[in-house]
Amino acid sequence: ILDDPDLKDIDPTVLKHCHAAAAMCILEAGKQKADIPAISTCLEDCKLDKERIEQFCTEYQHRGLVTVVSSSIGRSPLHVTDVSWRLEYQIKNNQLHKTYQPSYLVTLNVENSASGSHPDVSFSCTMEQLQDLVGKLKDAAKSLERATQM
Amino acid sequence: MLLVLSAEHRAHLGCLPPAGGAAVGELGRLALEQLRRGAAPRACESAARKLNISVDIIQHGVEGLVYLLTESSKLMISEVDFQDSINVLGFSDELNKSLLQLYLDNRKEIRSILGELAPRLPSYHSLEWRLDVQLASRSLRQQIKPAVTMKLHLNQNEDQTAQVLQTDPATLLHLIQQLEQALGEMKMNHCRRIVRNMK
Repeated sequence: ILDDPDLKDIDPTVLKHCHAAAAMCILEAGKQKADIPAISTCLEDCKLDKERIEQFCTEYQHRGLVTVVSSSIGRSPLHVTDVSWRLEYQIKNNQLHKTYQPSYLVTLNVENSASGSHPDVSFSCTMEQLQDLVGKLKDAAKSLERATQM
Repeated sequence: MLLVLSAEHRAHLGCLPPAGGAAVGELGRLALEQLRRGAAPRACESAARKLNISVDIIQHGVEGLVYLLTESSKLMISEVDFQDSINVLGFSDELNKSLLQLYLDNRKEIRSILGELAPRLPSYHSLEWRLDVQLASRSLRQQIKPAVTMKLHLNQNEDQTAQVLQTDPATLLHLIQQLEQALGEMKMNHCRRIVRNMK
């Protein structure tokens, strides 16, 4: 906004204050999920005229993206975004030949929103163990479904 | 597949014939204990006294047997190959038979001990899960954000670690679909053919 030609006649400090105030207003109103009448009342108390209040409220209606950003701020445990797997058949290793064991290598791709790092979790498992894991995940999904029907 | 025994190895095992049948049994027992629990010098000393042979010879004999048994079990050599391999030592038929019996009786156990030495990744132990709904946060009130929180228990070299992870419903369904595909692969013809032919 400091480079905007329409605003070049206004003192930059005042401009920054206005910008910050407007942004805070939108964020707070969005956070509390305030509706238009509530905002209008608040702005009236701040001695804004009707026309400005209407303009502000029209702009406020377009805050969809702001809500999305607000909802994603915050700490949470490592978030799983994807899974990769590999099926292998072990034939021998340097300690033991003729092992003939199938096994799965599963990697859970994890995103840490706080640090932006990707500390993936990898582990190996047998077919039975993978069946156990999938069974438990399916239980979780079923209970999610039941919860949404309540 | 034949086992190739080095000169040193043959010298170590060379102590067996003069020692006699009972000694072979004793040395065999010591060899297996060494595989299970590690070297036991005291046991070797007491065996040396009992059999009236020097401790050094006993120890070499035990080490020779340990090597013979581990190599044979590692390669999973057949009875015939084992017999042919030890024939070069020029032992009596009775001694050969005892050694063969020692091998056959214990190779399964030895293989499972050797199996524990292989490199290992963390392996799956179990999974606990919990359904959560986020209702509000510092930056946004009045939310309804469902999430599944999971605790993944893994085994790494005899330590158990637990990792707390979270995922959303859409990703959960995706995970289930991907892992079910993984399980399905084992039943495909390609995998079945390989497992059947590589035995």
